[in-house]
Parts: sequence; structure tokens; C-alpha cells
Amino acid sequence: MQGMGIMRLIQYSYPSTRYAAALGDTRSPWTGLESEIDRMFNSVVSGYSAALGGARHFPVDFLEDKNNYYVRAELPGVTREDVGVEIVENSLTVSAVRRQKSGEKEDSYSFSRSVSVPDQVQSDKVAAAYENGILTVTLPKREEAKPRKVSVSVS
Amino acid sequence: MSFLNNFLGTASAVESASVRPRYETSEAAEAYLLTVYLPGVAKENLEITGEAGELRIVGRRAWKQPDGWTSLYRETGEEPFELTFEHENVVDLDAIRAELRDGVLKLTLPKAESVKPRKISVA
Repeated sequence: MQGMGIMRLIQYSYPSTRYAAALGDTRSPWTGLESEIDRMFNSVVSGYSAALGGARHFPVDFLEDKNNYYVRAELPGVTREDVGVEIVENSLTVSAVRRQKSGEKEDSYSFSRSVSVPDQVQSDKVAAAYENGILTVTLPKREEAKPRKVSVSVS
Repeated sequence: MSFLNNFLGTASAVESASVRPRYETSEAAEAYLLTVYLPGVAKENLEITGEAGELRIVGRRAWKQPDGWTSLYRETGEEPFELTFEHENVVDLDAIRAELRDGVLKLTLPKAESVKPRKISVA
């Protein structure tokens, strides 16, 4: 595997900074999905507004195993420094800036998505890695939230 | 743009269940430039084949959902990406340069001699 960039997660308190965005496509192909996601995760799609150039969505996954929750986001062509991962209370926000050079001038587009994370996440132990254009955020579960195996002897 | 005229859209898919990646094209004096977004594709999972009249890019995603992981919500796919261009030999296939970085493939497709702009001096 090529170099896995491990980014440390910083916990912020509001207000968080917003990136200045250039004008972009205001129609999102994910419009229909937004309500779906809201419903499924009670997520709040934030970090953008029409004034900032509209929604620029990227696909996200939410998975779990015994020990962790995982959020994956497709963010091709974004440099690590331009990826932000924040947890504020129970809301995880992934934000990114895509820069595009065309001759002399550079356009930048910023976009972000937020998902509600379950209470049993140890938010001080969250880690993120970016590889092949995919950001993976690992959110460890608290011990008490992990499934416990209890063997009961049957007599 | 002459790129689009000569270097037309996508042809039949070879992979049974593939998705067409997002891509952008542009043209410089000496070459056509193609940017293809292939999130999750590593270098070893990328195949670029150039045959007469056809350029095909197939990228397989490096990540598969591991055993023991439960998907609570998925938006990304696991299908390979595939993009095929037909062209009328406007590209010098031997001189194609490719760079894959952070899930973005940048292809430089040098123009064939026959389509390069030629300066004609007036006597």
C-alpha cells in the first residue's frame, strides 16, 4: 500500500471557518438523496449555502464492525491539507476544497457533508486516512457499546 | 471543439457491470488532455489500453467491504470504472502519458502528426 496519510482529528468548537467558494453548479445530483440521508441518519447537510455556490456533494458510506464505525467519502483529487474532519458534539463534518488551475487563475470549490454519529463513539480517538482519493474516518466505539460475548454453560 | 469531433464519446462496455467515471477533456496545441475521476482506484488496478481507433480505461476499486463490516448506509459503488473512447487515429498512442494521483487520472494524449497545426509559410 502506498503511503497512508494519517490525519489527526481536531475537535473544534463553533464557529468553524468556512472556505470561500467560487461559483459552481448549483444543481446537485444528490438532491433527492439528501432527504433520504436526513431520514436515515438524521444527518444535517451543512457547510454550504446557495450564497457559497451551492451544494457540491460527494458520496459517503457509513459502516460498522464490532469495534468501530467508519465513514468513507469519495474525494478524488483533493490534497490532504484541504481535507477537514471535525466532530462537534455528535456531528461529524467532512469538508474539502478542490482546486482547479486553468492557466493563471485557480478556481477553488469547497464542499462538505455532515453526519450524526452515535453517542457511543469515543470522539477523542477518531482517526482519518486518505488514500486513492477516498477518505476513511474510523470512529472507535466505547467499550460498553461493543457487543459482549458471554458464554453460559448449560448444565 | 475538434477533440469532441474526432475523439468521440464512449463505445460498448467490456466489463459486465461497470460505471462510467466522471471525466473532463481539454485541448492544448500539442496534445489532448483527459482527466478521469477514479476514486478508490490504485495504480495496480488501472488498465489503459490503446488500440487503433480505441482508447479504453478500466479501473477496479481497491477496497471491498471487509467481512464482519455491516453497511449502515452506502452511496459509493464497488463496480469497476470503465471509459472507452473511439477516435480516428488523431492520437499518437505510443506517446500517451498517464499519471494517477489521489484517485484522479491525468492522461496526456499527444496529437498525431496529421492533426497538429501546421504553419504554412507564404513565399
